[in-house]
Amino acid sequence: MVEKFLAGSAALFGDPITIAIFVFGVIGGMLFGAIPGVSMLTLAAILLPFTADLDPAQGVMLFAVIYCTGTYGGAITAILFNIPGAPENAPTAFDGYPMTRQGKSGKAVGAAVLCSAIGGVASALVMMAATEPLANWAIRNIGPPEIFALVFFGLAVASSVGGRTIWKGWMSVLLGLLIATIGQDPVGGINRYNFGFTDLAAGIAFVPAILGFFAVSEIFVQAEKKATGQYDAPKVGMSFPSVLELWAHKFAVVRSILVGFFCGILPGIGATLAAFMGYGEAVRWSKNKEEFGKGKLEGVISSETANNAATGAAMIPLLALGLPGGALTAMMVAVFQMHDLEPGPLVFYNSPELIWIVFAAMFYANLSILFIGLIETKTILYLLKIPFQFLAPLILLLATIGAYISRGLVLDVMVMFGAGIIGFLLRRTGYSIPGIVLGLILGKIGEQNFAQGMQMVHYDMITYFSRPICTILIIAGTLTLAAGVYRAFSSPKEAG
Amino acid sequence: MGQLTKAHLVEGAAWSLIVVVFFGYSFEFNQSIEIYKFGATGWPRVILLLLLLVTAGNFYYQFRHGSAIQKGRVGIAETDESETDYSDPATLLKVAGVLLTPFIFAYLLKPVGMYSGAPVFIALVIYLFGERRWKWILGITLLIYAILLGLFVVVLNAPLPQGNVSPFYDFSGFILKMNTNLQNLW
Repeated sequence: MVEKFLAGSAALFGDPITIAIFVFGVIGGMLFGAIPGVSMLTLAAILLPFTADLDPAQGVMLFAVIYCTGTYGGAITAILFNIPGAPENAPTAFDGYPMTRQGKSGKAVGAAVLCSAIGGVASALVMMAATEPLANWAIRNIGPPEIFALVFFGLAVASSVGGRTIWKGWMSVLLGLLIATIGQDPVGGINRYNFGFTDLAAGIAFVPAILGFFAVSEIFVQAEKKATGQYDAPKVGMSFPSVLELWAHKFAVVRSILVGFFCGILPGIGATLAAFMGYGEAVRWSKNKEEFGKGKLEGVISSETANNAATGAAMIPLLALGLPGGALTAMMVAVFQMHDLEPGPLVFYNSPELIWIVFAAMFYANLSILFIGLIETKTILYLLKIPFQFLAPLILLLATIGAYISRGLVLDVMVMFGAGIIGFLLRRTGYSIPGIVLGLILGKIGEQNFAQGMQMVHYDMITYFSRPICTILIIAGTLTLAAGVYRAFSSPKEAG
Repeated sequence: MGQLTKAHLVEGAAWSLIVVVFFGYSFEFNQSIEIYKFGATGWPRVILLLLLLVTAGNFYYQFRHGSAIQKGRVGIAETDESETDYSDPATLLKVAGVLLTPFIFAYLLKPVGMYSGAPVFIALVIYLFGERRWKWILGITLLIYAILLGLFVVVLNAPLPQGNVSPFYDFSGFILKMNTNLQNLW
């Protein structure tokens, strides 16, 4: 493995053009992740046509690097503006943004830098060592029934965070699932809920929906505060977390690496569920559950470690099985196809040099987060000093471009602003925006795998539950929901 | 009425309406799929049934406890719980302006295009957010517009909506021609 890694490193750093592409990917991913309103997906969508002119290894490597650094960059906007750069950064905002309000933005961003790097490097190392055996294990043990069971468990966990009551948490997730049914059904290709708009036959693209629910609704919330004189500018805090503070959360880091890697390795799940589950597990194991959501450093650490730990793992189903784990890995499939390559087991035999350049690039990209991230952080924190009336139009305009660019449809811009208004109204009444987004992302995956799973077990539930991973995940999800029902009927807080 | 308020009734009615509309529309695609027992409507109808049950649960909770936050909830941002006073019509107008302006901008993107529409949109949003110093509005508008052109047009060559109505379409053409000339310089 070491020889292959060194060979990959030599190929990466032996060619000036490859180095330039690597550096562009590192800086571009961080910047697009950290600019509110656009994300790594916007950059990837813009760059996709240009990768046709690159060498296949350079093209795939560029996207892998953007994936690593963009996942980190999205944490910055989540912490500073309550606008997650990508859905996988949504749980980071739960505690990161309250920390910014308390003047601890430096601590939150510093923890995000370090934990993203740790999670990413650990994931890259495991990815290099274990891609082939893990891919073999996944092929034998993970099928559609298990993926559906994991989606069920993930949604059960997601509904328990974010909403003002468990009912609102569930309603948020169910609304996301309902929105995901718009478009063609995944089994028969029958058009559902297009309401007469032909463009809706392709479904609601999740980039505009995410931009609307997170970025636009946040702008609207701040606009309302401005209009009513309640606006309070966030405080800039430059102090980074101390080594002792971070060391105190070592178990949270290790737990989130494991959770992130496990979620990332499963096809179709990706880093989003990893972040939610990393956060959910941090809450579950904490003695001070009540402090989460109010500016607890452990919340940022758990979410950011888990989502970056999933980036390396997400390469395993992509490279070993040809199954993308999220939007960016789906674009990587397109990069492969542009060069007449198909990601899958044969890539390991036909293009081993490509695989190891990508692995090496991801390793170094995660290390770069640590060094460039720390330098960049202090500059980015000054974004908070820009008056919001000047930042808001920039964010709205960037979000408009981000929504339009992926499919070239004005309808997507309308969907984004519609989602912004719905998100604004739902936030005011205590619903969970991350819950909606997770439902939206996992809805299609859940339905598709449920249908395939049912066909595999011939609609026999005994056969379904004879699969141990399914049984464990369904029981865990059911227990999470049952605990929620129990709490739903317990007495509420006095706050109103 | 327990702890219910008018807002709770509107909220419950809105969710029930969503369930009714989506359930009614599901008959439009109520087709069986040969290889799949539950057809195209199975999954969405289960979601709608669950949504109806949870809406009832939410209504019951609000009947018993009003808008109180449930014990043990995590991840609720403080901004989500603000209670805003809309008794002043000017406040309502300002917020409605902010909510509707982006929608109108999106609606006009097809005929007007990004290149002509963006500066007006930027200036309007700055104004709606409370800035009244016209020099600042003009300066920041030009700065953001320059960032838009520099990053997305010159550096990334991103395809943005050009509009389809004259003179907006002609203006987009002019900007793109300038960009081509600039690119040819190097």
